[in-house]
Amino acid sequence: MSFNFSFGGTRALLMLSGLLSLFAAAGQAQTSSGQLTITMTVQSSITLIFQNNPAVGNTGFCPLTNAGTNNVGLDMGVAAFPGSFHTSTCVNYQHVGASFYQVSSAFDVVVSKSNSSSPNYRLAAEISTVPPVGVIWLINNVTLTTTGFTALDAADNYATPVTKTLQVQVRNNVPAQVLQETITFLATAN
Amino acid sequence: MTMLKNYISIMRGAVLTALLLSSASLLGQTTATGVINGTLINKDGIALVFDTDPAGVTLGAAGTSAASANFGTVSAFGPLSAGVTRPSVTAANFTVRTIFDVQVIQGGLNSTGYTLAANLAAVAPIGFSYKVDAVTLTTVSQTIQTNGAYSTDVPHNLDLVVSTAAPGAGGPAVNTPITTTINFTATAN
Repeated sequence: MSFNFSFGGTRALLMLSGLLSLFAAAGQAQTSSGQLTITMTVQSSITLIFQNNPAVGNTGFCPLTNAGTNNVGLDMGVAAFPGSFHTSTCVNYQHVGASFYQVSSAFDVVVSKSNSSSPNYRLAAEISTVPPVGVIWLINNVTLTTTGFTALDAADNYATPVTKTLQVQVRNNVPAQVLQETITFLATAN
Repeated sequence: MTMLKNYISIMRGAVLTALLLSSASLLGQTTATGVINGTLINKDGIALVFDTDPAGVTLGAAGTSAASANFGTVSAFGPLSAGVTRPSVTAANFTVRTIFDVQVIQGGLNSTGYTLAANLAAVAPIGFSYKVDAVTLTTVSQTIQTNGAYSTDVPHNLDLVVSTAAPGAGGPAVNTPITTTINFTATAN
C-alpha cells in the first residue's frame, strides 16, 4: 500500500480533517458556569447546659426535667419542719440550727466553648424574685439574691461537669406556701 | 336615418376618446416593489443562574450567574441570621447551612437534563470546609447532581463546616469577614 501525496491526496486529507472537526464540534457538550460567593464572620461563643449528676436518684441528687439543656426544672417535693417531713426520696433533708430546715439537691453544670482562646470561665447566679421572709436560696452555701449575680466560681474548666448543689432553707415560722424561684446561671469566658 | 348615423358616429368618437385618455392615465402611475430576505441563526446553549430559595438567605444578585450568599455572623452557640440553620454541633466542629437554588435553562438542545459540578475557586480558609449537598468541595471540580431538570429552581444545601478550635490552633479567624467563591458548572447530558 502506498500513499499518494499529490495535490488530490492532500485535498482529500484536508476534507477528512474538516469533517472530523465538524464531528468533534457536534459532540462537544454544552456547558454553562456560575459563581457563588460566600461571606461569613465567625464569632467566639460559649454555651451552658445543666445535666443530671451521675449519682442521680440517690439522696441529694434529684433528676432534672429537660436535662441536657439550658432550661431545666428541679422539683424538690413537699417538706415541713416538724418531724423532718419530706415527700421527695431524692432530696437531702436536714435541720439547720434550731429553727431552719433545708432541702437540697445537686446537679451538674457544663460549659462548652467554640472558636475561643479562653482558658476557663467564671460562674455566677441570681434568683428571679425576692423570697418570703425566712426563706433562703443558696448554691453551694452561697446565698443568692435578686440584686445581681453572685459569684460562684472564678475559673471553671470548659467541657467539664461542675457539680452544684441547690439548697432551700426555710425557717420554722414560714407559712405554708409554694416556694418557687427561677435561678439564672451566668458563665463568662475568662 | 342620417341623424341616426351621425349620432352613432359621435358616440364612437366619444368612446374612443375615453379609452385613449384612460390609457394615458395608466401609463403615468409610479410603482415600486421590494422583498426582505430574513435570516436568523438559532444557536443552542445552556445558562445557569442562582436564585434565592424561600428557606435560605437572600442572595445578592439573585437571578444571575454571579450571586453572593452572606451567612452573617456564625457561631457554635450564638444566634444566626435569617435563612441560616445549624444542623449540627460537635466538640470538633459545627455546621451552618443555607439553601440556594440553581436554575439551568437550555435552548436548541436535545438534552433532557444536566450534570452540575462545583469546586472551590481557592483552597478553603483554615478551619473551614464547604459542602454542597454533602459533597465536600475542593479546588477540583466534583459532581453534585447528575440529572438536574431544566427551567426549574433546584434547591441545594450549602454547608459550612467550621472548626471549633481557637484561632491559631486550627480554628478559623474570628470577628473577621471571610469570603469564599464556589464555581458551578452545568453540562448538558
